[in-house]
Amino acid sequence: MVGTEKAKKYTLIVIALAILVAAGIVLSIALGRYPISISDIIAIVSGGGTATQRALFFNVRLPRILLACMVGCSISAAGASYQGVFQNPMAAPDILGASSGAAAGASVAMLLQFSGRGIMVSAFAASLATIALVMAVSKAARGNKLLGIILAGIMLSSLANAVSSFVKLVADPYDTLPKITFWLLGSLSKVKLSDVPLAAVPMVIGLVPLLLLRWRINLLTLSDSEARTMGVNAPRTRVIVIICATLITAASVAVSGLIGWVGLVIPHLTRRLVGNNFKHLLPATCLLGALFLMLVDDISRNLLITEIPLGILTSVVGAPFFLWLITRKREEY
Amino acid sequence: MITVNKLSFSYGKARVLRDVSFTAERGELLAVLGPNGVGKSTLFRCILGLSKPQAGEVFLDGERVCDIRPSDLARKLAYVPQSHAPTFNYSVFDMALMGTTAQVGGLSSPGAEQIKLVSAALERVGILQLKNRGYLEISGGERQLTLIARALAQQADILVLDEPTSNLDYGNQLRVLAQAKELAGAGYTVIQSTHNPDQAMLFADRVLALKGGAVRALGKSDILTDELIGELYDIDLKQLKRYRHT
Repeated sequence: MVGTEKAKKYTLIVIALAILVAAGIVLSIALGRYPISISDIIAIVSGGGTATQRALFFNVRLPRILLACMVGCSISAAGASYQGVFQNPMAAPDILGASSGAAAGASVAMLLQFSGRGIMVSAFAASLATIALVMAVSKAARGNKLLGIILAGIMLSSLANAVSSFVKLVADPYDTLPKITFWLLGSLSKVKLSDVPLAAVPMVIGLVPLLLLRWRINLLTLSDSEARTMGVNAPRTRVIVIICATLITAASVAVSGLIGWVGLVIPHLTRRLVGNNFKHLLPATCLLGALFLMLVDDISRNLLITEIPLGILTSVVGAPFFLWLITRKREEY
Repeated sequence: MITVNKLSFSYGKARVLRDVSFTAERGELLAVLGPNGVGKSTLFRCILGLSKPQAGEVFLDGERVCDIRPSDLARKLAYVPQSHAPTFNYSVFDMALMGTTAQVGGLSSPGAEQIKLVSAALERVGILQLKNRGYLEISGGERQLTLIARALAQQADILVLDEPTSNLDYGNQLRVLAQAKELAGAGYTVIQSTHNPDQAMLFADRVLALKGGAVRALGKSDILTDELIGELYDIDLKQLKRYRHT
């Protein structure tokens, strides 16, 4: 039957990615300043190991690695979703301003000494407001739609960054300022075990509808009238997708700060592997995003004696990729 | 069967359609003819339930279009837009598969049954060999055939084709028109807009000629006399005769 060869290839790729993620988790736990051997890991998981090893495993490495996977998965899925609903291959949480908006919301919440959950809510509200403004501005802008939305995103990102900068200016220089500054650079070095469920709840709430609606995201890449004649209410579906993508972006930013480019690069790499159909694209993007950010985080904590913030490393990878994307000859994605 | 009854539509103060009435029967190809800007696209938008007319109604087998839920309407009425260039390069197969969306629940993807439908539809319009090619890598005519296949996979029995030949070269125009004609012969109701009277004469069973947003003439294609064409397109009769009969 037609289509089955492609489905088979997709299944193989997804299984391979899942195995790589699982292997990556074990490897990442083993790696670090205080190495834990594979046999130690087995001992710890089955209840053994020394107290130091157990503390290191449960309080430091495991939460950090899980969060790297969750954040990588979320911002990649958000990027792919934004690209679909805005019909724009350059769309990504950081380019549209969703990340900067979340960062502004979170830094204000940190300044006001909100709890973890308060930071999460504030990040989501600010992020959603930024995306709504980007949509309104790009709708009013004349000319090239593709460019309009990117320019609106750049403009509102810089406005949101101004808010974050102002927060830094007035923050307590001995306590809040270093915390906000390091977090804004994009880092998972300060995460705690309690951050895992805190981030997991909004991420699951956002990702599940995206995965369920993923076939319909395909129709949002056509015109709204066309989608409607095929039985899809495009404006309503688009709003649901945008809210979900923004929620998982905000949850990611609240725990890990600004990690740029992943939401742009990973969906495009995945398109090369499995094609444009969101039925295949979205799950594969989630897995590849998790794998990628986990490996970059391994580099971040193992390459030098001092930790390199994740955001710096992802920019080193992402910026050249973006240049390639805008300069290549064929205008197809 | 589709019945349009005294349809009127305005954008603000500008009246685009006035009192348009006609019927398209099962198995016929009805050409909606008129110069650009005469209201053909607006008429189609009203038929498809995308725009709400200020007066008049559109009935599908006796049921008002505006009362039918979009997901149900999609299974009765399929729209074939002009061949376009979407942002992402979907495969021809996936592009056609999108037509089956209304057949599956809102939270699921098309399954084996829909895949079979799409293969059959691509086979029927003669482009099954292109199924794995990118939609943006094929010719305009092939894209138009892909969109027709998508409409067939949608399993509607009324097809609405919006100027399907406007961006195509001569050979592709004939291929697409022949396909539309064949579908009408097989029992589909095909409504197709065109600004080209020659196409209407060659392929349509009946012609609906629009002038100033109103029905100027409706009937078999022999109603398209030089006088009528001259009037519809506002051209000098002598000039037209010299052009058409040399």
